Amino acid sequence: MKKFKFFTNFDHEEQWLNEMARQGYVLTGKSLSYEFAQVQPENANFRMDYRTFKSRQDFEDYKALFEDSGWTHIAGTRSSGSQYFKQTGAEGSEDIFSDVDSKAARYKRISDMWLSLACCFIPLFAVLISTDAIDVTAFLKPQLLYYTPGLWDMSGGQFWRAFLFETPFAFFRGFTWMMIPVMILVYSLFAYKAKKQYEKTQQGR
Amino acid sequence: MTRDKNLPLTETVYYILLALLEPAHGYLIMQKVEELSSGQVHMAAGTLYGAVENLLKQKLIQPVHSEDSRRKVYVITDRGLGMLRQDYERMRHMIEMTNTILG
Repeated sequence: MKKFKFFTNFDHEEQWLNEMARQGYVLTGKSLSYEFAQVQPENANFRMDYRTFKSRQDFEDYKALFEDSGWTHIAGTRSSGSQYFKQTGAEGSEDIFSDVDSKAARYKRISDMWLSLACCFIPLFAVLISTDAIDVTAFLKPQLLYYTPGLWDMSGGQFWRAFLFETPFAFFRGFTWMMIPVMILVYSLFAYKAKKQYEKTQQGR
Repeated sequence: MTRDKNLPLTETVYYILLALLEPAHGYLIMQKVEELSSGQVHMAAGTLYGAVENLLKQKLIQPVHSEDSRRKVYVITDRGLGMLRQDYERMRHMIEMTNTILG
Protein backbone atom coordinates (compact mmCIF):
# COMPACT_ATOMS: atom_id res chain seq x y z
CA MET A 1 0.00 0.00 0.00
CA LYS A 2 1.20 3.49 -0.83
CA LYS A 3 0.42 6.56 1.18
CA PHE A 4 1.25 10.19 0.61
CA LYS A 5 1.87 12.32 3.64
CA PHE A 6 4.15 15.16 4.55
CA PHE A 7 5.77 15.80 7.91
CA THR A 8 7.95 18.58 9.22
CA ASN A 9 8.38 16.92 12.59
CA PHE A 10 10.37 13.70 12.98
CA ASP A 11 8.74 12.83 16.31
CA HIS A 12 5.26 12.98 14.75
CA GLU A 13 6.44 10.98 11.74
CA GLU A 14 7.88 8.25 14.00
CA GLN A 15 4.63 8.13 15.99
CA TRP A 16 2.60 7.84 12.81
CA LEU A 17 4.76 4.96 11.50
CA ASN A 18 4.40 3.14 14.83
CA GLU A 19 0.65 3.71 14.75
CA MET A 20 0.49 2.32 11.20
CA ALA A 21 2.36 -0.80 12.39
CA ARG A 22 -0.17 -1.20 15.21
CA GLN A 23 -2.85 -1.27 12.52
CA GLY A 24 -0.92 -3.92 10.58
CA TYR A 25 0.90 -1.74 8.04
CA VAL A 26 4.65 -1.86 8.35
CA LEU A 27 6.90 0.55 6.48
CA THR A 28 8.96 -1.14 3.77
CA GLY A 29 10.16 1.84 1.75
CA LYS A 30 9.95 5.55 1.20
CA SER A 31 10.44 7.45 -2.01
CA LEU A 32 7.87 10.09 -2.82
CA SER A 33 5.27 8.09 -0.96
CA TYR A 34 5.44 5.76 2.00
CA GLU A 35 5.26 2.10 1.06
CA PHE A 36 3.65 -0.29 3.49
CA ALA A 37 3.30 -4.05 3.63
CA GLN A 38 0.30 -5.59 5.32
CA VAL A 39 1.38 -7.70 8.31
CA GLN A 40 0.06 -8.89 11.66
CA PRO A 41 -0.47 -5.77 13.78
CA GLU A 42 2.69 -5.25 15.83
CA ASN A 43 4.23 -2.86 18.32
CA ALA A 44 7.04 -1.66 16.09
CA ASN A 45 9.58 0.96 17.06
CA PHE A 46 10.46 3.20 14.13
CA ARG A 47 13.03 5.96 14.53
CA MET A 48 14.31 8.61 12.18
CA ASP A 49 17.59 10.33 11.62
CA TYR A 50 18.42 13.00 9.07
CA ARG A 51 21.79 12.70 7.35
CA THR A 52 23.35 12.81 3.91
CA PHE A 53 26.68 11.18 3.12
CA LYS A 54 29.70 12.23 1.11
CA SER A 55 30.55 8.71 -0.01
CA ARG A 56 28.97 5.30 -0.34
CA GLN A 57 31.49 4.04 2.20
CA ASP A 58 30.36 6.57 4.80
CA PHE A 59 26.77 5.47 4.23
CA GLU A 60 27.66 1.78 4.57
CA ASP A 61 29.58 2.48 7.78
CA TYR A 62 26.60 4.39 9.16
CA LYS A 63 24.14 1.60 8.35
CA ALA A 64 26.52 -1.02 9.77
CA LEU A 65 26.72 0.85 13.09
CA PHE A 66 22.93 0.92 13.39
CA GLU A 67 22.58 -2.73 12.40
CA ASP A 68 25.21 -3.71 14.99
CA SER A 69 23.22 -1.85 17.65
CA GLY A 70 19.92 -3.50 16.88
CA TRP A 71 18.33 -1.26 14.24
CA THR A 72 17.31 -2.33 10.75
CA HIS A 73 17.70 0.33 8.09
CA ILE A 74 14.33 0.37 6.32
CA ALA A 75 14.47 3.34 3.99
CA GLY A 76 16.68 6.22 2.98
CA THR A 77 19.47 6.66 0.45
CA ARG A 78 22.88 8.29 0.57
CA SER A 79 21.44 11.64 -0.42
CA SER A 80 17.80 11.41 0.67
CA GLY A 81 18.47 12.81 4.13
CA SER A 82 15.70 11.06 6.02
CA GLN A 83 16.85 7.67 7.31
CA TYR A 84 14.26 5.25 8.67
CA PHE A 85 15.16 2.61 11.23
CA LYS A 86 13.14 -0.13 12.85
CA GLN A 87 14.21 -1.77 16.08
CA THR A 88 15.24 -5.32 15.22
CA GLY A 89 14.57 -7.09 18.51
CA ALA A 90 13.55 -6.26 22.02
CA GLU A 91 17.12 -5.81 23.26
CA GLY A 92 19.16 -2.63 22.96
CA SER A 93 18.08 0.95 23.50
CA GLU A 94 14.60 2.31 22.91
CA ASP A 95 15.86 5.22 20.85
CA ILE A 96 18.63 5.84 18.33
CA PHE A 97 19.68 8.86 20.39
CA SER A 98 20.84 8.76 23.99
CA ASP A 99 21.06 12.48 24.65
CA VAL A 100 18.97 15.55 23.94
CA ASP A 101 21.62 17.35 21.89
CA SER A 102 22.02 14.61 19.31
CA LYS A 103 18.26 14.09 19.16
CA ALA A 104 17.85 17.80 18.45
CA ALA A 105 20.74 17.99 15.97
CA ARG A 106 18.78 16.18 13.25
CA TYR A 107 16.38 19.15 13.21
CA LYS A 108 19.34 21.47 12.76
CA ARG A 109 20.55 19.44 9.79
CA ILE A 110 17.17 19.41 8.05
CA SER A 111 16.68 23.11 8.78
CA ASP A 112 20.01 23.88 7.11
CA MET A 113 18.97 21.78 4.12
CA TRP A 114 15.67 23.69 3.66
CA LEU A 115 17.47 26.98 4.04
CA SER A 116 20.10 26.17 1.42
CA LEU A 117 17.33 25.00 -0.91
CA ALA A 118 15.52 28.32 -0.41
CA CYS A 119 18.76 30.20 -1.01
CA CYS A 120 19.31 28.34 -4.30
CA PHE A 121 16.24 30.04 -5.75
CA ILE A 122 17.18 33.55 -4.68
CA PRO A 123 19.78 34.19 -7.42
CA LEU A 124 17.39 32.74 -9.99
CA PHE A 125 14.69 35.10 -8.81
CA ALA A 126 17.13 38.02 -8.86
CA VAL A 127 18.07 37.23 -12.46
CA LEU A 128 14.43 37.12 -13.52
CA ILE A 129 13.81 40.49 -11.90
CA SER A 130 16.93 42.16 -13.24
CA THR A 131 16.30 40.96 -16.80
CA ASP A 132 12.71 42.24 -16.66
CA ALA A 133 11.51 38.72 -17.35
CA ILE A 134 8.79 39.29 -14.80
CA ASP A 135 5.92 41.32 -16.13
CA VAL A 136 4.19 42.92 -13.16
CA THR A 137 1.67 44.68 -15.41
CA ALA A 138 -0.01 41.27 -15.75
CA PHE A 139 -1.44 41.91 -12.30
CA LEU A 140 -3.02 45.18 -13.39
CA LYS A 141 -3.99 44.24 -16.91
CA PRO A 142 -4.44 40.47 -17.04
CA GLN A 143 -6.28 40.81 -20.37
CA LEU A 144 -2.88 41.37 -22.02
CA LEU A 145 -2.03 37.76 -21.28
CA TYR A 146 -4.69 36.55 -23.75
CA TYR A 147 -3.42 36.18 -27.29
CA THR A 148 -6.57 34.94 -29.10
CA PRO A 149 -7.20 37.46 -31.91
CA GLY A 150 -10.36 39.44 -31.37
CA LEU A 151 -11.13 37.70 -28.07
CA TRP A 152 -12.38 40.82 -26.35
CA ASP A 153 -14.77 41.63 -29.22
CA MET A 154 -16.49 38.26 -29.04
CA SER A 155 -19.68 37.79 -27.10
CA GLY A 156 -21.84 35.12 -25.48
CA GLY A 157 -20.95 31.46 -25.76
CA GLN A 158 -18.21 32.06 -28.29
CA PHE A 159 -16.45 34.45 -25.88
CA TRP A 160 -16.70 32.13 -22.89
CA ARG A 161 -15.47 29.12 -24.85
CA ALA A 162 -12.41 31.00 -26.16
CA PHE A 163 -11.85 32.73 -22.83
CA LEU A 164 -11.99 29.61 -20.71
CA PHE A 165 -9.90 27.69 -23.20
CA GLU A 166 -7.11 30.22 -23.05
CA THR A 167 -7.26 30.98 -19.33
CA PRO A 168 -4.88 28.18 -18.25
CA PHE A 169 -2.40 29.23 -20.92
CA ALA A 170 -2.71 32.89 -19.96
CA PHE A 171 -2.20 32.00 -16.32
CA PHE A 172 0.86 29.96 -17.20
CA ARG A 173 2.22 32.82 -19.31
CA GLY A 174 1.79 35.44 -16.64
CA PHE A 175 2.29 33.75 -13.31
CA THR A 176 4.65 30.79 -13.67
CA TRP A 177 7.47 32.92 -12.26
CA MET A 178 5.51 33.16 -9.02
CA MET A 179 6.43 29.53 -8.33
CA ILE A 180 9.91 30.77 -7.47
CA PRO A 181 9.08 33.25 -4.69
CA VAL A 182 6.45 30.82 -3.43
CA MET A 183 9.04 28.07 -3.22
CA ILE A 184 11.52 30.37 -1.50
CA LEU A 185 8.83 31.20 1.03
CA VAL A 186 7.71 27.62 1.60
CA TYR A 187 11.26 26.30 2.01
CA SER A 188 12.09 29.15 4.38
CA LEU A 189 9.01 28.30 6.40
CA PHE A 190 10.10 24.64 6.66
CA ALA A 191 13.58 25.80 7.68
CA TYR A 192 12.08 28.03 10.34
CA LYS A 193 9.81 25.28 11.69
CA ALA A 194 12.71 22.82 11.89
CA LYS A 195 14.85 25.44 13.63
CA LYS A 196 12.09 26.02 16.20
CA GLN A 197 11.79 22.28 16.75
CA TYR A 198 15.57 22.10 17.15
CA GLU A 199 15.49 24.72 19.90
CA LYS A 200 12.49 23.11 21.54
CA THR A 201 14.09 19.66 21.56
CA GLN A 202 17.36 21.05 22.85
CA GLN A 203 15.59 22.61 25.79
CA GLY A 204 14.13 19.20 26.46
CA ARG A 205 10.55 20.40 26.46
CA MET B 1 48.48 28.52 30.50
CA THR B 2 44.98 29.09 29.22
CA ARG B 3 42.89 26.03 29.05
CA ASP B 4 41.72 24.66 25.68
CA LYS B 5 38.14 25.69 24.91
CA ASN B 6 37.17 22.04 24.47
CA LEU B 7 37.97 21.35 28.10
CA PRO B 8 36.55 19.99 30.28
CA LEU B 9 35.51 17.07 28.10
CA THR B 10 32.03 15.66 28.51
CA GLU B 11 31.77 12.27 30.14
CA THR B 12 30.94 10.55 26.84
CA VAL B 13 33.76 12.23 24.91
CA TYR B 14 36.21 11.32 27.68
CA TYR B 15 35.22 7.67 27.53
CA ILE B 16 35.28 7.60 23.71
CA LEU B 17 38.82 8.98 23.69
CA LEU B 18 39.83 6.53 26.36
CA ALA B 19 38.29 3.69 24.34
CA LEU B 20 40.15 4.79 21.22
CA LEU B 21 43.62 4.39 22.70
CA GLU B 22 43.22 1.20 20.71
CA PRO B 23 41.65 1.23 17.22
CA ALA B 24 37.93 0.39 17.17
CA HIS B 25 34.87 0.69 14.93
CA GLY B 26 31.62 2.34 15.93
CA TYR B 27 29.85 -0.50 17.68
CA LEU B 28 33.00 -1.56 19.49
CA ILE B 29 33.36 2.03 20.78
CA MET B 30 29.82 1.85 22.15
CA GLN B 31 30.58 -1.40 23.96
CA LYS B 32 33.90 -0.15 25.32
CA VAL B 33 32.34 3.06 26.61
CA GLU B 34 29.73 1.06 28.44
CA GLU B 35 32.36 -1.26 29.87
CA LEU B 36 34.79 1.52 30.87
CA SER B 37 32.01 3.40 32.63
CA SER B 38 30.81 0.25 34.44
CA GLY B 39 27.53 0.48 32.57
CA GLN B 40 26.95 4.11 33.60
CA VAL B 41 27.25 5.61 30.12
CA HIS B 42 25.11 4.03 27.49
CA MET B 43 25.34 5.51 24.00
CA ALA B 44 22.78 4.94 21.25
CA ALA B 45 23.86 4.56 17.62
CA GLY B 46 22.76 7.99 16.36
CA THR B 47 24.41 9.76 19.25
CA LEU B 48 27.68 7.88 18.87
CA TYR B 49 27.76 8.56 15.12
CA GLY B 50 27.40 12.29 15.74
CA ALA B 51 30.03 12.24 18.50
CA VAL B 52 32.54 10.44 16.27
CA GLU B 53 31.83 12.94 13.50
CA ASN B 54 32.55 15.84 15.88
CA LEU B 55 35.75 14.27 17.19
CA LEU B 56 36.97 13.72 13.62
CA LYS B 57 36.24 17.37 12.84
CA GLN B 58 38.21 18.47 15.90
CA LYS B 59 41.01 16.08 14.87
CA LEU B 60 40.97 14.36 18.26
CA ILE B 61 40.54 11.01 16.51
CA GLN B 62 41.39 9.80 13.01
CA PRO B 63 40.34 6.96 10.71
CA VAL B 64 42.78 4.11 10.26
CA HIS B 65 42.90 1.19 7.87
CA SER B 66 40.06 -1.25 8.42
CA GLU B 67 39.98 -4.96 7.63
CA ASP B 68 36.20 -4.76 7.55
CA SER B 69 35.01 -3.21 4.28
CA ARG B 70 31.80 -1.87 5.82
CA ARG B 71 32.97 -0.57 9.18
CA LYS B 72 35.34 2.33 9.61
CA VAL B 73 37.96 2.06 12.32
CA TYR B 74 39.20 5.04 14.35
CA VAL B 75 42.04 5.73 16.75
CA ILE B 76 42.96 8.65 19.01
CA THR B 77 45.34 11.31 17.61
CA ASP B 78 48.24 12.98 19.47
CA ARG B 79 46.03 16.00 19.88
CA GLY B 80 43.30 13.80 21.33
CA LEU B 81 45.76 12.15 23.67
CA GLY B 82 46.95 15.57 24.85
CA MET B 83 43.39 16.60 25.50
CA LEU B 84 42.70 13.40 27.42
CA ARG B 85 45.81 13.93 29.58
CA GLN B 86 44.88 17.54 30.35
CA ASP B 87 41.41 16.56 31.38
CA TYR B 88 42.78 13.72 33.48
CA GLU B 89 45.10 16.19 35.27
CA ARG B 90 42.16 18.52 35.81
CA MET B 91 40.11 15.77 37.41
CA ARG B 92 43.02 14.47 39.47
CA HIS B 93 43.50 17.93 40.86
CA MET B 94 39.82 18.08 41.75
CA ILE B 95 40.03 14.73 43.49
CA GLU B 96 43.18 15.72 45.43
CA MET B 97 41.56 18.94 46.56
CA THR B 98 38.38 17.14 47.52
CA ASN B 99 40.40 14.58 49.43
CA THR B 100 42.28 17.26 51.35
CA ILE B 101 39.17 19.14 52.32
CA LEU B 102 36.53 16.47 52.56
CA GLY B 103 38.54 13.31 53.10
